[in-house]
Amino acid sequence: MRHVVPQSAPEPKPLSEPVLLILTSLAAHPRHGYALIKDIELLSSGRVRMSTGTLFGALRRLLEDGWIERFEQDDTSRQKQAYRLTGSGRRQLKWELDRMRELTRAGLARLRAAEA
Amino acid sequence: MTRVFQFCLILYPRGHRDQFAEEMSQVFEQAAAERRAGGLAAYFRFAFAEIAGLVTGAAWAWIAPQRAARAAAEKYSHLPGELADAQRRVDANVAAMVHAIANHQFERARQLSNEERIARANLDTLRQKYGDEFGMTC
Repeated sequence: MRHVVPQSAPEPKPLSEPVLLILTSLAAHPRHGYALIKDIELLSSGRVRMSTGTLFGALRRLLEDGWIERFEQDDTSRQKQAYRLTGSGRRQLKWELDRMRELTRAGLARLRAAEA
Repeated sequence: MTRVFQFCLILYPRGHRDQFAEEMSQVFEQAAAERRAGGLAAYFRFAFAEIAGLVTGAAWAWIAPQRAARAAAEKYSHLPGELADAQRRVDANVAAMVHAIANHQFERARQLSNEERIARANLDTLRQKYGDEFGMTC
């Protein structure tokens, strides 16, 4: 019979670009679907224009994973249904940004060493 | 174009449509209005990208649950049958609870929490029966 090693908290996996952009966009405050598309375009300097299908596919997965939650907006905008980060989503985003910072630091150090 | 978009939404599984179809149509209409102002060529590029995104998104919406089910089956394959079932029930309960909370269905979440307590007690009993060898965490 095989032995089962008790599982510890799993190491988070690197995030896909759409997920990273959505979580980053929601980091400041809740947004509804169209506001997310516009903000992601702005965040990526116009490079990423997420289609509606891609956006809502990612939102569904994020809701299922509990990284974001629905949020009723009180304003008068047409779309009252917004999304916001949960504590778990914020932790995932922070982990990914830390990972990218480490990678950037290591990459720059190697470039500097090669140029010196 | 909005009608074509709304028609393409039938490609999605029912659950996804119930949850997002109306919202997706609203987002599409807002984006389309903006792109229309940018000229016909820009609008057609946008429309093509949107329909392609919908088709791809719908395909993933069908495939993802099957992949998850396969991964779950592998996850429990080393456990004896009744222990695997009990573990699967607890995991499914937790996932459903997270989903309910994320969608602000708090009454449903409370009900799932009660069910989860019972399922976890059953799992603990089975773990004792099978001993430490299968004392995996959940």
